Amino acid sequence: MTAIRITRAGPLATLQDAGRPGLLRHGISASGPMDRAAFERAGGWLGAAGTTGIEFTTAGIGFVADASVSMAVDGGAFELSIDGEAKSWPSRALLKAGAVVDIRPGSLGNYGYLRFDRQIEVPLVMGSRATSSIAGIGGFEGRALKAGDVLALGATLPRGRGQHPTQAALADGPIRVIWGIHADRFSNAIRQRFVTDEFVVSPQLDRMGVRLADPLQVFADAAILSLVSDAVAPGDIQILGDGTPIVLMRDHQPTGGYPRIATVISADIDRFAQVRPGAPVRFEPVTVAHAQGLKP
Amino acid sequence: MLPLILPLGDRGLLVRFGEALSDEANRAAIALAGHIEAAAIPDVLEVVPNLISVLVRYEPARLTFERLAGEIRLLASAGDDRQSAGAEHRVAVRFDGEDLESVAGLLGLSVGDFLRAHNVAPLRVLATGFAPGFIYCGLHPETLVVPRRNVVRRQVPAGTVLFAAGQTAITSTAIPTGWHVLGHTGFRNFDPAAEPPTRVRAGDRVAFEAAP
Repeated sequence: MTAIRITRAGPLATLQDAGRPGLLRHGISASGPMDRAAFERAGGWLGAAGTTGIEFTTAGIGFVADASVSMAVDGGAFELSIDGEAKSWPSRALLKAGAVVDIRPGSLGNYGYLRFDRQIEVPLVMGSRATSSIAGIGGFEGRALKAGDVLALGATLPRGRGQHPTQAALADGPIRVIWGIHADRFSNAIRQRFVTDEFVVSPQLDRMGVRLADPLQVFADAAILSLVSDAVAPGDIQILGDGTPIVLMRDHQPTGGYPRIATVISADIDRFAQVRPGAPVRFEPVTVAHAQGLKP
Repeated sequence: MLPLILPLGDRGLLVRFGEALSDEANRAAIALAGHIEAAAIPDVLEVVPNLISVLVRYEPARLTFERLAGEIRLLASAGDDRQSAGAEHRVAVRFDGEDLESVAGLLGLSVGDFLRAHNVAPLRVLATGFAPGFIYCGLHPETLVVPRRNVVRRQVPAGTVLFAAGQTAITSTAIPTGWHVLGHTGFRNFDPAAEPPTRVRAGDRVAFEAAP
């Protein structure tokens, strides 16, 4: 059996694939990579990649490969070394049997991706191998990876034509949103400040949601009570009773009763997921038609 | 009852019947979800009824929000609130919950009278999907309405029977909750190995009875 053995895992390193959309009525949100584009790029460097990869967080991850395997890494900017030798980021590499791979914190981003030219052999759960941190299903035993875990890899996939890794262009500027399903519950003044004032990504972030700090107190007096719980979409920005904004992410609760002022557009969710705690965020409203014309 | 149609992000459309939970709004949402599913509109990816709304997820590369909204307006304006009868599920409950006495007290009833009133007739499944296999049942008459608790319990196990806001709910996974705990049941509505993973649908009926 070909396998990799995890020697070090930062918090919340999980297996992800394209996710399991279509199960909301069963109480399951889709999961999938926090930065989908980076996950797909990592696969693209290999030409043919297993559909399942490892998503790791800022602290990085380390592993030993017990057989020859091709890997690619992308997402954010991390420090990669193979058998003690520093490599560029993003990267692809043919690992020799016994290779020691170490991914350490770098200068950018919250999430990085590791993919192989083989499938990571974990059971399909409801059609997907993605880990759902909210439901505790899928991935490796329904949980985050930790040191000592052994991931079995399948046969080498037929080789396609890979792309040479180049750093993705860093987009900046405001995070674009569509006004939310409860935007009309907020006063004009609050709506105006929501799209002009600055928020800050807080350290309280995970696959379910990202809490924002609101230093200018935009939502200090926004108390809205008694909403009937309603469908949630990834990117929804809900405002808690105490005024805390939370951007709901890939492992979001399927329904929610807090008011949603706006929804981050599909094309900007990846970029938002990579914004580090302490960094400022601004929001800019766009129309549905505009958002749909953008490449994800 | 004519609904409001609005975008939920750039890949979703929400149809909402009013602002408050009512039997009428809930029935309208469940009925419309059925009509949208039956219409089999190309590039609609998922149709999900909620308490007073329907989420329609669609493929924006091939279906615009405006065109989908137009088709749904037509379906809604037919005003057909009929829905298929739905299955009936019998749920045996051990009414041993830590909040049972306080709930009866809030309603000015003995525990026995409260349980008789609670179990007197099957309830409708108002919605699913809050958590895996979770179901909301209702609506109880106004004489059986209590508010949520002030304090959230960090975790109740799968099979907990909850009560608040004119509804009785059943958990199928461990969740945190601010609802009152009436009791526990062996009834489970979530099996990730099954297809589909849950079997209770919005619009079904649930008959609660005291476990022997």
